[in-house]
Amino acid sequence: MSHGGGGRPWPLALLLAGLLAAAPAAAHEPAAVEDEYIKGVFTPAFVPPPPGSYELPVLGTVASFVLRDADGRSVSTAAITRGKVAVVSFIYTACTDRLGCPLASAALRRLQTRLRDERLDGEAVLLTISFDTERDTPVQLAKYARAYDADPQLWRFMAAPSPRTLDAVLRSYGQDRRPEYDERGRFTGRYRHMLKVFLLDRAGRIRNVYSTGFLVPDVVVNDVKTVLRD
Amino acid sequence: MRQLVLTLTALALLAAIPAAADETCQSPFLPKVTGQEDFIYVWTLGVPGVGDGNDSMVTVDANPKSASYGKIVHRAPVPGRHEAHHAGFTDDRRQLWAGGLDTSQIFVFDVATDPAKPKLVKTIKTFEKDTGGLVGPHTFYPLPGRMLISALSNKDGTGRTGLAEYTNDGKFIRAIPMPAEAPYGYDVRVNINLNRMLTSSFAGKKNYMRPVGELLKDAEAMKQFGDSVVVWDFHARKPLQVLRIPGAPLELRWALQPNHHYAFTSTALTGQLVLIHRQDDGTWAAKNIAEIGANIPVDISIAPDDSKIYVNSYGDGTLRVYDVTNPFEGKLIHQVKLGEQANMVSTSWDGQRLYATSSLLSNWDKPGDHWLKGLAWEGGQLVPKFTTDFGGVGRAHIMNFGAR
Repeated sequence: MSHGGGGRPWPLALLLAGLLAAAPAAAHEPAAVEDEYIKGVFTPAFVPPPPGSYELPVLGTVASFVLRDADGRSVSTAAITRGKVAVVSFIYTACTDRLGCPLASAALRRLQTRLRDERLDGEAVLLTISFDTERDTPVQLAKYARAYDADPQLWRFMAAPSPRTLDAVLRSYGQDRRPEYDERGRFTGRYRHMLKVFLLDRAGRIRNVYSTGFLVPDVVVNDVKTVLRD
Repeated sequence: MRQLVLTLTALALLAAIPAAADETCQSPFLPKVTGQEDFIYVWTLGVPGVGDGNDSMVTVDANPKSASYGKIVHRAPVPGRHEAHHAGFTDDRRQLWAGGLDTSQIFVFDVATDPAKPKLVKTIKTFEKDTGGLVGPHTFYPLPGRMLISALSNKDGTGRTGLAEYTNDGKFIRAIPMPAEAPYGYDVRVNINLNRMLTSSFAGKKNYMRPVGELLKDAEAMKQFGDSVVVWDFHARKPLQVLRIPGAPLELRWALQPNHHYAFTSTALTGQLVLIHRQDDGTWAAKNIAEIGANIPVDISIAPDDSKIYVNSYGDGTLRVYDVTNPFEGKLIHQVKLGEQANMVSTSWDGQRLYATSSLLSNWDKPGDHWLKGLAWEGGQLVPKFTTDFGGVGRAHIMNFGAR
């Protein structure tokens, strides 16, 4: 339950990163199906279709919101995503679900590397929005960003200034989130949510949605290129 | 599949909570949650003269600890009769979409606000127009943020058909035609680890809305049934390979365990249980693995550990259990006579419980009772637990599981 403190802030992220960086056949025990999903994200068992060989129809348009970034500044999401293909994810830094936020952030770190390798870093941006308005302060977000090697030019972290703004953001994207309570009605510090990551084109239109099992950086890079060809 | 542990009592405190238990045959994009299912939502055909005669979403209490276990606890009618058939949740489990094969209307129920009482919140009446002439929305398969729908037919009633996609809030996205060499449609299922999608094939509206006695005597019409399963690149939505599987292969079930790169189907007209498997070169092949018989197998369900396939047959009303531990060879290990006819069969997430319903199609059903039956594995036997009589509400078709 602890989400860090002291000298070992992100054990799960590091574990995940270590787990996935090298040998896929490493000896680890936990749920075989979860492992399969995680392995599938980083070393997919298929060749993604080439960019431009398929269509990514428009699913809807998202609004712009003024949120707080990891430096504590108020910035509109449109100012960050405008004119670029954006990969927008929703997480909270205290999330410990193996197939949830830590997996998404590890996948996005890989995506960041891939975008740089493909020299797409001027045309694409990653935006991670927290849905924990209370605990994910700018300081906390900055710490999380560092843990995932986020390049501040390419991968931005933001949180809503109020629960009301957050609700409006979530509604706009169609992202669910429900606080979890214990049997005595106390907030457990966790949220129940579908992991969803959204691909926005340069006009702020949703062109794809990824969830656990299909947030494959190789696929997302091809989708970014496909949308850039519009 | 992803399994979340829920504190059901905690969830009851919250207003907008999605349902929390699941059968084994849903989309990998749908969160699967461990727990005893509390409800079974049965999309039910209306029958003239029975109550208001309308199609309805019927809630049956499935929790053995409940005082109303096995009883109908709610009925949400829709206006009119539409040939109620299949239904499926959106990816966030907040809505249950249900289709009418005759009118092509799609009914969207809110199952989050009060999971015991699905509420009709939207009706999509433009399926044929949206899709450029597809009719008979069949499988509702959740993808992230959207619903993938397989259609059975087109507006001229022949089987040439396709797939359609809508956003979760009901906006049409696109239609995808079936390939010319495999024009019929039925089920659609995705394996995300392999980026492969399978579609199966049945018949057009001229056949499925026709009285079955008449149809069986029409030799030409009996040729108008599907004989293929198509393997697709899921992400690109492009057909890659057509597998010839004669006799109307209907429901598709992917194996659920990691590295089980195969799926099953059954053929209604030729009575085969069929394995669809990936070969070493990455192409796909089909193999008949058990002779079910001339009893018109209709629905199948897979055990969560991929050890068994359950088959319900319309012709003899029997549930058959096949051991598919070796997927290349199905062995009949158990059978239970359910009634005059049987159609859908669904396994619980833990493989312990099984539910079956009776009705197939309004013009194909035999005279007799309509019901939902609950069974459970006890001492190596499938033991009947309850029968819910649908005589007062209509004819029971597809089941989706819900929780408080």
